[in-house]
Amino acid sequence: MDLQIIGFGVIGQGFAEVLARKAAFFKERHDLEFNVVSITDITGTAHDPAGLDLVEALRVMEREGAVIGYPGAEKMSGVDAVREVEADLVVEMTPSNIETGEPGLSHMKTAFKEGKHVVTSNKAPLALRYRELVEMADSKGVHFKFEASVGGAMPIINLARENLSGDEVTGISGILNGTTNYILTRMKKEGLPIDTVLREAKELGIAETDPTYDLEGIDTASKLVILANAIMGTDASYKDVKVEGIRRVTPEAVKLAAEDGYVIKLVGEVADHHMEVSPRLVPKNHPLNVDGVLNVAQLKADVAGEITVVGKGAGRVETQSAILSDLIGIAKKTA
Amino acid sequence: MKISLDVVLKDRPGQLVKLLEPISQKGGNIISIVHLRETVKEGRVPVHVSFEIKDSSTLEEILEEIEKRDIWVSKVGELSHKERYTMVLVGHIVDTDLRDTIDLIHEVEGAVVADVGLTMPDPDMESSARIVIDVHREVLENVLERVDEIARKKDLLVIRPLGV
Ligand SMILES: NC(=O)c1ccc[n+]([C@@H]2O[C@H](COP(=O)([O-])OP(=O)(O)OC[C@H]3O[C@@H](n4cnc5c(N)ncnc54)[C@H](OP(=O)(O)O)[C@@H]3O)[C@@H](O)[C@H]2O)c1
Repeated sequence: MDLQIIGFGVIGQGFAEVLARKAAFFKERHDLEFNVVSITDITGTAHDPAGLDLVEALRVMEREGAVIGYPGAEKMSGVDAVREVEADLVVEMTPSNIETGEPGLSHMKTAFKEGKHVVTSNKAPLALRYRELVEMADSKGVHFKFEASVGGAMPIINLARENLSGDEVTGISGILNGTTNYILTRMKKEGLPIDTVLREAKELGIAETDPTYDLEGIDTASKLVILANAIMGTDASYKDVKVEGIRRVTPEAVKLAAEDGYVIKLVGEVADHHMEVSPRLVPKNHPLNVDGVLNVAQLKADVAGEITVVGKGAGRVETQSAILSDLIGIAKKTA
Repeated sequence: MKISLDVVLKDRPGQLVKLLEPISQKGGNIISIVHLRETVKEGRVPVHVSFEIKDSSTLEEILEEIEKRDIWVSKVGELSHKERYTMVLVGHIVDTDLRDTIDLIHEVEGAVVADVGLTMPDPDMESSARIVIDVHREVLENVLERVDEIARKKDLLVIRPLGV
């Protein structure tokens, strides 16, 4: 199967690395071979119908930090690469811009128009224009999968849609943002104010330089909406979610909660068609009480009852588990 | 005995009176009414009412009269025991009159603030409080709505327990 990579940062490079490392395993276990015919970042596109050398591409990134440094690479944009390079599937891993959904939105739409499947880790286009994208993929008869856009390595969308396909999921709740979970965990353990912990999280690379979307709950809302749309069949945008972030949570509040047997967590919840993200009191022995950068999601299913999944919500390598699962799923269906 | 009654009313003026009249005529004491306005379906609104009466034969008479009035009873039973709910508030809790906050919660029939814990780190900074409320499940909606109102007016952050 011929793949195009768009976005070659942390996740894009992690993908190339795992693809190269596990090629023999994919062949042996699944009888699948993946051939990367183009790689695009903001500087340009490297492409070769015979397949690019992924190890060389990673070396170029280490040396020059830009795809344009790959021998023969051109100043070709992502949209042009999708139009001009022949391939079966596009792996879209550009940054999530929650205001516009771009550049991912254009990459995805162009891929569908070209009859190419899409696997993505980019949540913004999905949190803004879910129905439109899914319908477009359907009308073109191509697959569109996005497990990595929610909860990194934590398998939740495919779990609900495949393993719980006979169930009706009536509610979802979870901790879907590792940065805020880390912050609240440190506040609880050390009794520190949020600003101090935030500084530490930035130094450790757990929080981004501008952590606004995490702290304000917008990142959680985006993921919650993707889950609700994909699993419960709603047609919502992240703007439909009632959102309250964690900026006002004080160390004293955390302590008062603890005295009564609770921890404070930033929880996203869908129940009775009401979607909300807010700091909540979670009983200490509740399955949603997971610490550090972990993510967790709980589904209420009419036959299975409650199902809880815990996993690493981010990470260069861990997130590849979700991308690979989508990729292999599509490759097997279309083989 | 305390009764919890769920009915479905036509979404028209005068319907609520039709429901409440038989209860008060038989000496019943209304504890609370929850009007689920946002769930109007096909011109009908679910309404929850809890009330106190003498005995179960009085209840029979009330139900008979209500049904005669063409009101559809969807559920009836004894009011549950009170449950305890903890909430944590953050904001200028003392400056915005904690006493008044508690009084406003007490105005909701059947709600009792059982415990308050307050921490003020610095008069200029936001303080935090834990409020423990005892209330019947059936009336919880009213309490949450009231707390929301207070929070909006006094600019407080409300941290609710999971599942409510
Ligand atoms: N990091 C995680 O653990 C994680 C987990 C789950 C999901 N995600 C999602 O995965 C996506 C990628 O994350 P990341 O951490 O890999 O981000 P990143 O390190 O910032 O990488 C983004 C890549 O996209 C490229 N890019 C930016 N604009 C582009 C454009 N217009 N056309 C083509 N390429 C463009 C960037 O190129 P330049 O470097 O040249 O600007 C860079 O190669 C995001 O949507 C993120 O939300 C990340």
